[in-house]
Amino acid sequence: MAVYCNISEDAQQKYEHFTKEKPDPEMSIEYKVGHKDFVNSGKASSEIKLMLKRLGVNPEILRKVAVASYEAEINVTAHSLGGDIICDIYLDCVHIKFIDNGPGIKNLEKALEPGWSTADDLVREMGFGAGLGLPNIKKNADVMHIESAENQSTILQIIIFY
Amino acid sequence: MEQTYFHAIDLINDKCKGCMHCVRTCPTEALRIRNGRVHLDDKRCVDCGKCIAVCPFGAIVASSDPLSIRNDYKFKVAIITAPYAGQFTEDIEYSTTIKSLYHLGFDRVIEESMATNIMTKMKRHYIANNKDKKPILSSNCPAVIRLIQVRFPSLLPNIFHVEAPMSVLSMYYREKYSAIEGLDPSEIGVFVAVPCIAQVAAVHQPQGAYKRNLDGAIAIRDVYNAVRNDLADIRNLDYDFITHENGLSRALSGQEADEVGNDQIRTIAVSGIENVIDILQKVEDHILDQYDYIVLRSCTSGCVGGILNVENPFIARSRIQALIRASKHHDHELDPMFSSYLNGEFDVLPLEPRSIMQLDTDMKQAIIKMKKLNEIKEQLPSIDCGACGAPNCQALAEDIVQGKACIDDCVILLKKNKNKKSD
Repeated sequence: MAVYCNISEDAQQKYEHFTKEKPDPEMSIEYKVGHKDFVNSGKASSEIKLMLKRLGVNPEILRKVAVASYEAEINVTAHSLGGDIICDIYLDCVHIKFIDNGPGIKNLEKALEPGWSTADDLVREMGFGAGLGLPNIKKNADVMHIESAENQSTILQIIIFY
Repeated sequence: MEQTYFHAIDLINDKCKGCMHCVRTCPTEALRIRNGRVHLDDKRCVDCGKCIAVCPFGAIVASSDPLSIRNDYKFKVAIITAPYAGQFTEDIEYSTTIKSLYHLGFDRVIEESMATNIMTKMKRHYIANNKDKKPILSSNCPAVIRLIQVRFPSLLPNIFHVEAPMSVLSMYYREKYSAIEGLDPSEIGVFVAVPCIAQVAAVHQPQGAYKRNLDGAIAIRDVYNAVRNDLADIRNLDYDFITHENGLSRALSGQEADEVGNDQIRTIAVSGIENVIDILQKVEDHILDQYDYIVLRSCTSGCVGGILNVENPFIARSRIQALIRASKHHDHELDPMFSSYLNGEFDVLPLEPRSIMQLDTDMKQAIIKMKKLNEIKEQLPSIDCGACGAPNCQALAEDIVQGKACIDDCVILLKKNKNKKSD
């Protein structure tokens, strides 16, 4: 099982505090993502953004949430057999988990390199698969955590503080 | 003090039968039926005018300034917006329709289309110099500006932050004629013939402008009527002026995008407020970042679709396209004003958000409200019947959470509970 974790410099303290306190989420919402369902892909991230907007989260943070969660949702659609998104909302951050049904990432280190892609023809035809998904998520999330292995589920978690 | 909002909409209470047509149509859910009569939420309304178009009883009407408003001023200037050209049948020449305005007592008639050239140049310059804000959103449609303020405040920085052409024209000609005629600028009345109520609202309460530049907004249909009544007298009158048909593209959403776009500037043209909302959502999700300029118009087909016009928008569009095709390009005295733009003379203030999206200013309260909202939604029947006076169950749930309605307003639930009791 390969694990990768990235915590942005600005978020170190907040993240430590968060893991120490382990607060209960104020709200938790689940979404399903279908295998290669490009028609509906992006809807969950759009809904998450809308909900945070309604809670008064500022536009700059909304932008980060929108970009990171959209990329991650597309990843589940394009590269996995489908899966679930669980969005936990806290008073100071949002924690989103993307849990797919496999087949896992063969080489996680490579997958994190900008431009690296394993996308098949269908995915490329849809205009995705440029190999910028994970790097883009890393850039926009305060905390990004991936665990994966071949023929297993991939679990991607992101945390963005308001 | 709570800010008040000007709207160019009059509600005629006696005529309202509480039928829900308007409530269902409103893109910002600003209307409710309470006690059998329509109510307007001032903060939510963006003056798109859709409610006026669908009301079968004439209970919602457009308000604009009467033609007689010109009589209050010594020197009268009319600015004619581009859709005006599409209102008349082709046997009436465009130049005749302009001539008629002089005959109606205006001292100068200015076509908004005169500013199209220079506005295109400004837009291209602005787009090239604001790459960090792309896509830039067009600012011509006041209903779209207000829509962004209430529903998409995060996109306010993307708006093309330059005065509207009618304001630029007004500033320029007020100064010019007060010098020529030796009049105080306040003795010069500058009026604009507008295609929609959003423009009326923009004239009376401009967003982001440093000061009000125009003295009145007259409906194109009122001008049309006066001109039609006058036509027989004026055909043979001699006036010396040139017309600017080539700039009439402003009235047509697709055409403007084509003019601004080039190899470096990718554009999208969007018309119809539902389409505009869809596109703004996508801009907010950052999936249209590859575009440079998006032309957004609340009305179908652009300004020719405005509610204060006379002609069907598609017919008007075809006529205007014919006029543009037959036109010659004239350099215009405004063209050298590009330097004024560069000097910042047409800058506008950053636009203020007036978000209707936030459930509460305090995040804790907002979360409590959202949970409560979801609970109430579970109870409601989700059939969006509208009998409560709100456009759908979601909106009623929100009204309840905000203390503007109660759960008993749902007649379906009320009946269900009553049946339970009698069982």
